[in-house]
Amino acid sequence: MERMTGKQRFLAALNGEPVDRPPAASIVSVINYELMDIVDSHFPAANTEPVPMAQLAAGAHEVMGFDSVMPIFSISQEATALGCEVEWSDTTMMPTPLTHPWEDRQAEIKLPDGFPDSFLNDKYVRCALEAIRELKKHFGDEVMILGKVMGPWTLSYHMYNVQEFLYDTIMDPDRVRLSLETLKVVPITFARAQLAAGADAILWADHATGDLVRNTTYRDFLLPLHQELVPQVPAPVILHCCGPTLDRIQYFRQAGFSAFHFESQVPPDKAIAETQDKIKLAGNINNPVTLFSRGPAEVRFEAQRAIDAGVHIIAPECAVPLQTTVENLKEIVATCEDNRKN
Amino acid sequence: MSREQEIKQGLFDNTLTGNRKAVEELTNEGVALGMTPMDMLFGALIPSLQEVGRRFEVGDYFVPEMLVAAKAMQGAMTILRPLLVASGAKPIATVLMFTVKGDVHDIGKNLCNIMLEGAGFTVIDLGVNCSTDKMMAAIKQHNPPIVGMSAFLTTTMPVFKVNIEALTKEGLRDKIRVMVGGAPVTQEYANRMGADGYALDANSTVRLAKQFAAEMGYDVGDGQVKKELSDAVQAVEEMMNKAEVHET
Repeated sequence: MERMTGKQRFLAALNGEPVDRPPAASIVSVINYELMDIVDSHFPAANTEPVPMAQLAAGAHEVMGFDSVMPIFSISQEATALGCEVEWSDTTMMPTPLTHPWEDRQAEIKLPDGFPDSFLNDKYVRCALEAIRELKKHFGDEVMILGKVMGPWTLSYHMYNVQEFLYDTIMDPDRVRLSLETLKVVPITFARAQLAAGADAILWADHATGDLVRNTTYRDFLLPLHQELVPQVPAPVILHCCGPTLDRIQYFRQAGFSAFHFESQVPPDKAIAETQDKIKLAGNINNPVTLFSRGPAEVRFEAQRAIDAGVHIIAPECAVPLQTTVENLKEIVATCEDNRKN
Repeated sequence: MSREQEIKQGLFDNTLTGNRKAVEELTNEGVALGMTPMDMLFGALIPSLQEVGRRFEVGDYFVPEMLVAAKAMQGAMTILRPLLVASGAKPIATVLMFTVKGDVHDIGKNLCNIMLEGAGFTVIDLGVNCSTDKMMAAIKQHNPPIVGMSAFLTTTMPVFKVNIEALTKEGLRDKIRVMVGGAPVTQEYANRMGADGYALDANSTVRLAKQFAAEMGYDVGDGQVKKELSDAVQAVEEMMNKAEVHET
């Protein structure tokens, strides 16, 4: 089969079309300290300035060979633009929201005045959009450029605080629904802006994970919103949800996403069976043990297992630990390359 | 069944379902009937919270159910706390708990704190985003034999190793048992980080802490826990008060 570009390969896999080999992808984040040194782009600038951000993201393809690049490494762009305090200056850690504007139960659940203009003009949102433009200018259609948004459930964790939010799923579900309804415009706004800047697809993170809530919580609160929102994004949308999710793939497959990016807690063969071919899968190489602590042989074993199970796009399960080695990450790509079809 | 038995059953059942109002009413009635705080705590409330933990372990309960149960128990403790009389017995041991630097997830840690306090440990909670320096300062101040670290993100889990290496560098490693936990953490990962133990959830955290304490020569018998109940009440209250502060 003729050699495909990274973008062609990724899109073909999303569409269920033939590929020359399984795509190896940067989905959430594959950046690490070693890569930062190689491309000479470090935190905090790689999170706060578009050129260093694009430079580091590009390393996923140019240094490690992944078929996609993802410039939005953290989960904090929307949070900061909506009023959460975020620590952006740390040189060793991903930026993290530290405060929650709606955590006071007397606080009015509403978006900041001036939304969406104020949101789109936020420094960190603009940085992400500009980095996508830089990557598009640099790669054109050779490499898949992914954008990233937080869905209304994860944004509620940021705005409302996760503990009170989860408590209210039982004690005050109307307030939970108000939060979700209020925030639902945010990922649509940000996704469309990223697509206009040059993103080819959107990763949509919404952490209604089995670590925290039962699958019917997803079904009852979030599934109808996903069904409403995903069609409003004029590009493929990939859902990311951490943790044990096997029991909710039956609902994810009804939500309209092109693919589900899943973690190693779900065996790939069981995940494939659960999709009933209604949603594609991306993942699920274990981060903390395999990619972080073990060597290339173990990475290869897991990548091959995912390929053999029929996972459509091979990738680390979530944002990799920053101490992960480039050698281990390149082994994912090498394994995919060794599965090239003649 | 006597009314006292009905009250204890009601406290157990309503804590399990997070019915704080009913728990408070039953607690007040029990006090009025002359039931002791110890009887209500040991005979109903703590067993109920342990049952909540068990249901979580087997996947019948999720975090929201644990949170509403903890708040219901807090309602009872607000009433019982003034009535508890310290017996003068020593705590089992002190456990230092925190979420590592760069990570602000703490629901699991807070639930562990409740269970540890209920089991008779003194818990020093350093909160979230805790630096290695802050951990070291607290260790020097409180001299805990057990340290519990939590991380919810694959990007922050490596901090376990940083902290454990800091203990070694300070010459404290042999004096402290380190337990780690958090959703993505596994026993294998804990081993690789150099931790002494891994706890899957709040119930197993208590079992592990008791195991460590026993191995280190602390008495973990039931006779020692009574004094800690008043501390436990306070800790639950503090935990629930802090519940508003944290995030994903």
